Amino acid sequence: MKHNVLLTVMFISVIPAVSVAGTLEGKVSAGNSAVYVDAISGKTFPAPTKSIVISQHGLQFVPHIAVVQQGTTVDFRNDDSVQHNVFWPSVGGNRKDAHNMGTWPQGDKRSYKFDHPGVVPLLCNVHSEMSGYIIVSPTPYFAETDAAGNFRIDNVPDGKYTVVAWHEDSKPEKKPVEVTGTAKVDFTLTK
Amino acid sequence: MLRLFIDFCDRRWFFFAFHLGILLALSGWAHAIPAFARMYGTSCSTCHLDFPKLNDFGKAFKDAGFKFPKDDESMLKIPPVMLGAPANKELWPNAIWPGTIPGIPPIGLRYTNYFQYTGSSSSKFAALTPPGSLPPLTPTTDFETGVFTLLSAGNFGGDVAFWINNDLSVAGNNSGGGLGDAYLKFVDIGRLLKLPKYALNLRVGQFELEIPFTQARSIWTSPYDIYLQSNVGAMNPLFPQQFVNNNYVLAETGKGIELSGGRHTGGYNYSIAFIDQRTGGRIGFSPYVPTALGSSDGGLGVQSDADFKDIYAGFNYRFNLERDKESRNAIQAAGPTGPRDHTYLNLGSYYFYGRSEQRLLGAGADGTASVLTAREPFYRVGGNMTFNYRCCLQFNALYMFGHDMNLLPVDATGTLIPLNQLGQITPAGFVQGRAATFSGGFADVEWLAYPWMMVLMRYDGVNSNADRVNALIANPPFTGAPFNAGVGSTRNRFTPGVQFLIHANVKATFEYQFRPAQSVIVATNPTTGLPIALNPFHTNTAVLGFDFAY
Repeated sequence: MKHNVLLTVMFISVIPAVSVAGTLEGKVSAGNSAVYVDAISGKTFPAPTKSIVISQHGLQFVPHIAVVQQGTTVDFRNDDSVQHNVFWPSVGGNRKDAHNMGTWPQGDKRSYKFDHPGVVPLLCNVHSEMSGYIIVSPTPYFAETDAAGNFRIDNVPDGKYTVVAWHEDSKPEKKPVEVTGTAKVDFTLTK
Repeated sequence: MLRLFIDFCDRRWFFFAFHLGILLALSGWAHAIPAFARMYGTSCSTCHLDFPKLNDFGKAFKDAGFKFPKDDESMLKIPPVMLGAPANKELWPNAIWPGTIPGIPPIGLRYTNYFQYTGSSSSKFAALTPPGSLPPLTPTTDFETGVFTLLSAGNFGGDVAFWINNDLSVAGNNSGGGLGDAYLKFVDIGRLLKLPKYALNLRVGQFELEIPFTQARSIWTSPYDIYLQSNVGAMNPLFPQQFVNNNYVLAETGKGIELSGGRHTGGYNYSIAFIDQRTGGRIGFSPYVPTALGSSDGGLGVQSDADFKDIYAGFNYRFNLERDKESRNAIQAAGPTGPRDHTYLNLGSYYFYGRSEQRLLGAGADGTASVLTAREPFYRVGGNMTFNYRCCLQFNALYMFGHDMNLLPVDATGTLIPLNQLGQITPAGFVQGRAATFSGGFADVEWLAYPWMMVLMRYDGVNSNADRVNALIANPPFTGAPFNAGVGSTRNRFTPGVQFLIHANVKATFEYQFRPAQSVIVATNPTTGLPIALNPFHTNTAVLGFDFAY
């Protein structure tokens, strides 16, 4: 009897948690895309304390695409024996947020906290072919697809959202989604 | 400055070039990349400011033997093919020293074509046409196919670099084309002697000498006049004669070997080359003497016109002027917005020594037929300067003085033979006359107004009395180019220009040449009795070109 009561209490306490922690999954027509839940009205999220690293190695940004939550600090590290520069002409298309990080030699890094959501096209003004992207998500619900375009975002509370899919060679697409448990959404991006 | 340039030139040409450039930029063609860009997966702009002009990184890449100065392997996007295991180095001399070849054939192609405009003054040369003949027509405008060049260069590992370029077609009909540079360069062989890095390199083959400013890979469409100056003596008997027939010009390639060292990105660099003498004195070879390469003449025969090897020596010192020591010593200086070229001052000098040769059928004092050989030592000497301000502004200047010994033929009595009677009077020897000299140079400014636009201005000057005298022959019509302005300014011109990089590998160029004075009227000076040129005029020219490499 004592065990039954305990199990009942545990079951009841778990029900709300299960009901708010849904999963969002689906497929984007282009692989290596970014998918994230767009800004939720009236809701803010604490900035992550953990930073991520984007390396410049072999005349490339590694990783080529990074999806981060708004407020994340990115460490740009030069792992080449040549000098590199990092700059971006806009954030989310807003040219006022353009920034030039300057230049630094091998082994050094410089950090930047991305407080504004949107796509950040990374460039190096020494090596004009180098490009990378940071997709700053306004929510902590984001993912990068695999090469086939599949994605899965866990721990998405039940609710109605706008989900955005982005690929570097395509127009971004938004879709409304209602998450109740597991939700599925697919995107067919066009150029 | 752009406004000044537009005013300075003909506005119509400028806007024609600009709009054509925009049209081509929008057309979306030519995304291709040349050999190094292909191997490293990087843009032309990594090594070039305005191709083929090298930036500091490009100079370091070249100094290193066409590879990245550090960590070259990690930069290659196409791995090289190994020719032997690296461990074979430990077995030497019982194994072949390992090397590599590029993973793909490192071939690049370059093509230029032009539209040119010639001033209407060119019609005045019709007056030189002999009576009864039709005068030549010089069209005011003309489309011209340019040069199609095949380039191959790279590194065989182990610090052996190579370069070959061949003009496959010139002006659309292969005329004037041929092999340009073709050499192997053994980079940093000084390490075998425990010398500092890059203190000694060896280059073997055919190459443009390490002249202060390259002619073969210049961004200018029009050549540097002083580099094309030969020294062909004055043939007019009314003036002091010069029995000099030296067709050597500093811009031409030489065949031989070169020792070089230092860096072109800071500090010293030098070049000492020994090349075949080719001054135009070659007459022929015996068909009975096969060469070591199996030919009696031509082909793989011999090309020199003397046993003597010409010597070239050049030395430069570059002062990098960055205040920050780390930036000063880096390959490219670090600015607040990114790496760029250093602010620097480069000072240099160069010297070329050769012996021009002429052979005549003559006779000794006893009347015995003999071959007379005039060996006329010559030298070219000068200095050069470059001041570069960061990314965008560069001043260049070069001065050259040319000097040829002048051996005048004399007959058996020791009397000078007028050069125009050389075929009628048998020479018996030579006496030294007044040297044949010339001088000149150029100064230019190159302003990178935007990363995609270079504004240029250059002044060329060549002072050669022989050139002037040769034009002023006593009896018109002229036989040479009638550049017969004042003695002190035989040829001089201003050349403004502008270049647009449509892509990193495609550019539009425009140059307008304010050319030197010429004349078609020669009169006799009543005081001196010597011929003088009257009513000089200028035939200015303009050229619009497109240049692409892939």
